[in-house]
Amino acid sequence: MDDELLELQRQFESAQQAKSSIRLSERNVVELVQKLHELQIIDFDLLHTVSGKEYITPEQLRYEMVSEVEKLGRVSLIDLADSTGVDLYHVEKQAEYAVADNPGLMLIQGEIISQHYWDSVAEEINERLQECSQISLAELATQLHVGVELLTSILKPRLGTMVKGRLEGGQLYTPAYVARVSAMVRGAARGITVPTNLSALWSSLQHLLQEMDGASGIAVEGSFFQALFNGQVKEGQLLGSLRAGVYWTPTVFAGAQKECIDSFFSQNSFINYEMLNKLGISQPVQFLQSRYPDGLALVNAFAHPSLTEMVNAAVEDAIERGSWIDSLSVLPTSFGSQDASKILSHCQSLQSALKSQKAFIFGDSYVFSHTFVKDVYDRIEKEMESFNVSGSTGMGLSDDISSRNNDRVSHDSSTSVEANDSPSESSGKHAMEKGSRKKRGKASGNTKTVIVEGTSDNQDYVPAKSKKNQKKSKDTSSLHVSEVKSGARKDPRSQEESLNVPSEEWVVQQIMTLFPDWEEQGIDDPHTILRPLANHLRPMLINSLKEKRKALLTENADKMKRILDDLQRKVDEAFLNLQLYEKALELFDDDQSTSVVLHRHLLRTSAAYIADTLFINLDIYNKVKSGLEVENSQNSELVSLSPGERIDLAKTFRGSMSKKALAVAEVLEGKRIETFMVALRDFAEESGIVLKKLDKKLERTLLHSYRKDLMSQVSAETDPVSLLPKVVSLLYIQFHNKALQAPGRAISVAVLRLKDKLDESAYKILTDYQAATVTLLALVSAATGDEQDCSSDRITTKREFLEGLMPQLKGIVLTPSQP
Amino acid sequence: MEGWDPNTKSTLTQIPLLTVKAGPRDGGAWTQRLKEEYKAMIAYTQMNKSNDNDWFRISAANPEGTRWTGKCWYVHNLLKYEFDLQFDIPVTYPATAPEIELPQLDGKTQKMYRGGKICLTVHFKPLWAKNCPRFGIAHALCLGLAPWLAAEVPILVDSGMIKHKDDAASSTET
Repeated sequence: MDDELLELQRQFESAQQAKSSIRLSERNVVELVQKLHELQIIDFDLLHTVSGKEYITPEQLRYEMVSEVEKLGRVSLIDLADSTGVDLYHVEKQAEYAVADNPGLMLIQGEIISQHYWDSVAEEINERLQECSQISLAELATQLHVGVELLTSILKPRLGTMVKGRLEGGQLYTPAYVARVSAMVRGAARGITVPTNLSALWSSLQHLLQEMDGASGIAVEGSFFQALFNGQVKEGQLLGSLRAGVYWTPTVFAGAQKECIDSFFSQNSFINYEMLNKLGISQPVQFLQSRYPDGLALVNAFAHPSLTEMVNAAVEDAIERGSWIDSLSVLPTSFGSQDASKILSHCQSLQSALKSQKAFIFGDSYVFSHTFVKDVYDRIEKEMESFNVSGSTGMGLSDDISSRNNDRVSHDSSTSVEANDSPSESSGKHAMEKGSRKKRGKASGNTKTVIVEGTSDNQDYVPAKSKKNQKKSKDTSSLHVSEVKSGARKDPRSQEESLNVPSEEWVVQQIMTLFPDWEEQGIDDPHTILRPLANHLRPMLINSLKEKRKALLTENADKMKRILDDLQRKVDEAFLNLQLYEKALELFDDDQSTSVVLHRHLLRTSAAYIADTLFINLDIYNKVKSGLEVENSQNSELVSLSPGERIDLAKTFRGSMSKKALAVAEVLEGKRIETFMVALRDFAEESGIVLKKLDKKLERTLLHSYRKDLMSQVSAETDPVSLLPKVVSLLYIQFHNKALQAPGRAISVAVLRLKDKLDESAYKILTDYQAATVTLLALVSAATGDEQDCSSDRITTKREFLEGLMPQLKGIVLTPSQP
Repeated sequence: MEGWDPNTKSTLTQIPLLTVKAGPRDGGAWTQRLKEEYKAMIAYTQMNKSNDNDWFRISAANPEGTRWTGKCWYVHNLLKYEFDLQFDIPVTYPATAPEIELPQLDGKTQKMYRGGKICLTVHFKPLWAKNCPRFGIAHALCLGLAPWLAAEVPILVDSGMIKHKDDAASSTET
C-alpha cells in the first residue's frame, strides 16, 4: 500500500470529519431578529437600511447624522439619507428630533444647518463686504441658496459684530460707504437752489456712484438716498421744505422768491402771473391773495389798489373833459383788455358814470364819455343825411346806399388824405387795415356783420370802388361797360342781404374821417376802438336811415315798372314788324341764295334791333332793380351793339337768363330768322316780356300803316339810291301783300320777280332805274378817296340821270295804287 | 453544461480535474488515479464544509479502492433525512461513470433502477464522456447524486414514502 495513498486516505477522512463552518442565511438572521422582537428581548425600535442588509438603531442614526452635520455644517436630508443608507422618512424624523434637541442646529427647507455654518458664512460675507463696500442681500441669498428673509434674520444678530456694516433696503453697506454716500447726498442737496424733484437727484447720484464704482458697483436704491436725506433734514443739516415726500424746496429758494415778488410788486404795484410761474409758483392767484389781501386778482396779473385809483383818476378826467380814454394806455403794457375791463369794473367814478349814462365802455378797455359819443353820432348822422340828399337829387336815381356810401367814403378819405399831405402811405394803410379788419370781423363771427359775405366779395370790393371813382372823373363808354359788369356781379348778394344798411366798415371810416386824430394819439390799430363804437352807433344810424329807405324803395319800384312797360311796348312793335317782314321772305323760299341774303339782312336789321333793345333795357332794369345808377336810359334806344358787346352783356345776366341771352346773341350771327325767333321767344319768356303773335287782323292794319308809311316816304324821298328799295317794297306790298325788307344785293332779284306783275313799260323803268343805281353805287365805291377825279363828274351825271328817272318810278308806285 | 443549476455548475468547476486515465485493472496507473481521486474528493469536501453544505460521508470499502460506501443526507423543512450510499468502480472506468446506489430507497421512487441505482439526467452521460479522464468520483457525486437528492427527497417526504427517523420512532412508539 502506497504511503502517499494512505496519507491521502487519512487526509480525506480528516477532511470529512472536520467540523463544517456554520452559516446562517440572511433569511435566518431576519427571522432570528423577528423572533427576538417577539420575545421582547430587543425592546427598542430597529431601523433597517435601504438595502435591507443592515439594522440600525435610531440613536445611532441620529448620532451619525449629527456628526455629519458637525463635520459639514450644512447637509441636506437627502444627502444624509444617501450617506446613512436609511430611508428618507426615518432621516427626516430623526432630523426633527435632532434639531429639537440641539439648539445649534436648524432644519430649513430640507437642510440641517448648524450655527457654526452661519458663523463662517457671516465671516465670509464680512470679508467680501469689506472688499466691495456693499453687497446686495439677494445676491448673497442666491449664492447660498437660501431665502432673503432667512439670510436677513441670520445676519441681523451678527451685524456690528461679525459683519461690520449696515443693512439698508436689502443691501449691505460698510459704514465707510454709508458715510460717503451720505456726504454725497448732503452735498447734492445743499447744492440745489431751485425746487427739485428728489427722485431725479437720486437717479443722477446713482449714475455718479455707478461711474465711480465701475461695473462692479451695485445699483443703490433711491430709498437709501431718501433715508439718508430725511435723516439729514431732521438733523438740520439741510434747510428747506419737503412736499409730497419728493419735492424739495430749499429755504434759499423760497427766500429769494419772496424777495423778488415783494420788490417787484412794491415797485410796480402789479405783478404778472407769468412772472410768478417763472419763479416756480404754480398757483399764483392763491399765493398772491394770501400774501397781499388788499390786492386785485386780474386775468393776467395781480394789481395793487393804487393802480385802480390811477385808472379811476384818468377815467374821471376823461369823462369830465367830454373825451375818451383807452384805459390800457394808462396801465402797464403787459395788461390785456380783460384785465383792463376788470380794473374798470372796480373804478368807482366810472361805475357811477355808467349808471347815470355819462360814459360807455367799448371793447373792454375803452371808456367814452357820453358827450363825446353824442358828438360823434351827430356828426356822422349829419354826414349821412347830407350825402343822402345829394345822392337822391343829384343822380335822380335811387341807388344802393352801401355802394354809394363806399363811393362817398373813398372820396372822403382821398380828400382827407390830401389834407394830411401824406397821401399814398396813409391811403394804402387804410385799404390794408380795412381788408384785415374785415377778415377779423368775419373770423370772430360777428353776427352784426352784414356786408361781409365771403372773400370773393371782399376782393372785388375795392376794384369796383376804384372804377367808380374813375368813372366819376371821366365818363367813357368802355368804363361804363366794365363798371356795369362789376356792379352786376357784385350786387345780387350784397343787395339782397344788406338791405342797404350802413356797414360797420363805413361807420368806422366815417369816424376816422371825422376825427382824423385817432392815430396821432398813439393807437396802433384804431379799428379796435372804432369797431365797438361803430357797433354802438350803427343801430341809431340804421333807425334814422330806415325812413329814408322807404321813400327810396317806392321810387325804385316805379322806375322799374316804367322801364319794363317801355320795353314791352318797344319790343311789341318791333316784333310785330319782324314777323311781318319774315312773312315776306316766304316769297323767296324757292331761291336759295337770295333767301339767305334776305334772312341775313333781316337778322342784321330788325332782329338785331329787337335783341339789342331787349338786352339794353333788361340790363338797365337789372341795374335799377339792384339800385345802380344808370346815366341815360333814353340813349339806349339809339345804341346798336356789336356782336362782342352783345355777348358781354348777355353774360352779365343771371343764371339761365344769361344762357338764353347768349343763345339769342349767337343766332343773330346765323342765317335763319326762324332760329332767331325761337331763341328770342325763349329769352323773352325767361325775362318776363310778352311777345305778341301776329294775327290776320293785326297783320292787315300793320300792312296798311306800313304801306301808308312807305307811300309817304316814297313821295317824300329825294335821294335816288334809297328810293329804289322803298319803291320795290311798296311794289311788293301792292302785289303780294307782304312787307319785304331787302338789302341792296337782293334788290335785283326782287325786281326780277316783279316782271310778270308789272306792265312792260313800268318794268322797263324799274330795271333801268335799278341798273343805273347799281352803276352809280359802283362808281361811288370805286371813287373813294380822290374827289378831283373825273369819276366824280360821272357820279354826278349818273345821279342826275337817276333823279330824272325818279318821278317815273314814283309814278309806277303811286299811280297803280290809286285805282 | 446546461441542465444543472448555477450552484452545481460553479461548484463543479472548482473541483480539481484528474489527469490519469486508468481503470482498476491498470495496477500502478490505477494507484496514481486513485491518489488523484482522493485529492479531488478532499478539495470537494473542504469546499462543501466551508460553504456549510456538507452532505455526505464516504470511504473506500476495499484496499484497491474499487468499492465505496458511506452516507448522504438532505435537509428538508429543517429535518435531516439520511440515506446509505454505496457504489463500485466499473472495470471500464473512467470511460464509464460509477453507478451510485441508495439501497434504502429501492422501490420507493420511479427515478431509480433495480438495486437502488439512481437515474441520472440525460445530460450526465454525454458530459461525462466528453470529460473522460478528467472527471472522477467527486464529479460524479456533485453532478449526479446532489441534484438527484435535491429533486427527489422533497417529493418522497411530501408523498410520505419516507419519514424522518424521529417521526418514524415516535410513530412506532405510538
